[in-house]
Amino acid sequence: MIKRIWPIAAAVMTDSLRRKVVYVVLVFAALLVLAIPSLPDYGLGVEGAVFREVALALSYVTGLVIALSLAANRVPSELEKRTVYNVLSKGVSRWEYLVGTWLGVLGVMAGTIIAFTVIEMVVGYLTYGELMWRLWEGAFATWLEMGVISAFAVAVSSVTGPVVVVTATLAALFVGHSRSTLLGGEGALALQPFVPSLDAFNVVNPVAHGSGVPGIYMVSMLVVFFGLVGVCLSLGVLAFGRRDL
Amino acid sequence: MADAAIRVQGARKVYSMLGKPKREAVSDVSITVEPGTIHGLLGPNGAGKTTTLKMLLGLVRPSAGTFEVLGADSTHPSGRRSLGFLPEQPYFPVHLTARQAMRFYGSLAGVDAQGVREQTPKLLARVGLADAERTELSKFSRGMLQRLGIAQALLGDPVVVILDEPASGLDPVGQRDVRSLMLDLRAAGVTVLLSSHQLSEVEAVCDRVTILNRGVVAAEGDINVLLNVDGQSSVRASGMMSLPPRIAELAENVAVPGGVWVFSIPTQATRRVVDTIDEAGGTIIAVAPKRESLEDYFAALLASSDGEAPS
Ligand SMILES: Nc1ncnc2c1ncn2[C@@H]1O[C@H](COP(=O)(O)OP(=O)(O)OP(=O)(O)O)[C@@H](O)[C@H]1O
Ligand SMILES: [Mg+2]
Repeated sequence: MIKRIWPIAAAVMTDSLRRKVVYVVLVFAALLVLAIPSLPDYGLGVEGAVFREVALALSYVTGLVIALSLAANRVPSELEKRTVYNVLSKGVSRWEYLVGTWLGVLGVMAGTIIAFTVIEMVVGYLTYGELMWRLWEGAFATWLEMGVISAFAVAVSSVTGPVVVVTATLAALFVGHSRSTLLGGEGALALQPFVPSLDAFNVVNPVAHGSGVPGIYMVSMLVVFFGLVGVCLSLGVLAFGRRDL
Repeated sequence: MADAAIRVQGARKVYSMLGKPKREAVSDVSITVEPGTIHGLLGPNGAGKTTTLKMLLGLVRPSAGTFEVLGADSTHPSGRRSLGFLPEQPYFPVHLTARQAMRFYGSLAGVDAQGVREQTPKLLARVGLADAERTELSKFSRGMLQRLGIAQALLGDPVVVILDEPASGLDPVGQRDVRSLMLDLRAAGVTVLLSSHQLSEVEAVCDRVTILNRGVVAAEGDINVLLNVDGQSSVRASGMMSLPPRIAELAENVAVPGGVWVFSIPTQATRRVVDTIDEAGGTIIAVAPKRESLEDYFAALLASSDGEAPS
């Protein structure tokens, strides 16, 4: 099983190394990080917090763009070019193919987010003379959320084209982050348990302003991660399995 | 009988897409391929060959039917592990080199790194790509991709090999190479199922054929039996300015390509015709059972409204 999943994930990762979008987005975001210290002065003491907050937001957006461009295109283009025939006829099951693709995107996300966080650390140290280790907690949360988002995108991409995938994923992202806004009113409050929320991965406050994320919270984030990824990929596998290729 | 290498029974596929009328690509197809033989799946364009093979490989969900390779359900991934497949017009991730592609497919087929290193040069040489091992696939021609498709289908020494139009896109030398490759495979005990609409290919290598038309089996059996026209022989002779009258009154379908007389005669008149040609100073080049061309056979199939084999 892993013998077949791994080569598929590795193929997604090596393929991403050739994609210009990954580099362009990374370089652009890195330039923005360099520009953060020149933002208006908020007074002594909060500077570092503002830097962390903007840095986290930037790595979130960077991750999102890269995750979407990889996860939304991979399966549809493989289906369109029919390269998937050579893969599936080798005794690879469709679930192994989808999970491998997702793992590949997850790997690329790890690489991107690590690279980005290193840049943030360096810029933060050079500007504020402070090693901001807490940024890694934010990086981890971002990575988990990107994992969920790419699982959703991969699942949707197994039945439709990239445009629909991106639209659907952005819509899901919006819903996932506005549960309390959408269902905040008294009448709808009871519906909340039915709306999956991505707010669990929002650790901007403790990372930027507070004293960091408690270990137990990290664990509960992992639980949410596995739960949501599991649901997305299972639905994706169900839909993909019924499809004529 | 569980001893068939490939067994398809009652295959049926209705493609249905939202907003489009349903389309029955395959209505009722059964194929049995004996182990160690080369079996041809013949049929005109759109007969349902590719659809049948895709169902067999689990790429398309069958509407009905059972599909077995070596006794295991081949629509299930585990039933495909001892099988190699060449898709119709294969395509590959073009940024890979031939060697990298072989490594990728080898690892999916469960061949270890050492095995892939050993098999890759051999297989690439076998399909005539020995010099292209390090070439990026984006620089491959259509025929080279086809050859690579064949090479990757043979990774891991599959016992059953399924080839969808193996000769398509190949030059005459390439087609001949593929034919001898299939014969080599058979000699090594491998079962081959190939689809084709080229009579020469099928005729040269296949032990048996299944002829498909409009989603049903039109005929099944030995290609020679299927296409030979009963009681007729085909004669080729040279060295005559004109046909002797005794032959002219018997001969049908007369043609003279490049000074060689080609015509068909009733088989029981063969002796008399041969003697007559001798007396007229002609030279016999060949006398063979008259064979219907596949084109004619297909044309007759298409013309017959019920899709049954022409008599
Ligand atoms: N994905 C699909 N959706 C709808 N119809 C399809 C699909 N694939 C094939 N068909 C139809 O099914 C029929 C059989 O197609 P198939 O590709 O199996 O033919 P074939 O025998 O392989 O032909 P060829 O010799 O041209 O390769 C055709 O009429 C085709 O239009
Ligand atoms: Mg075909």
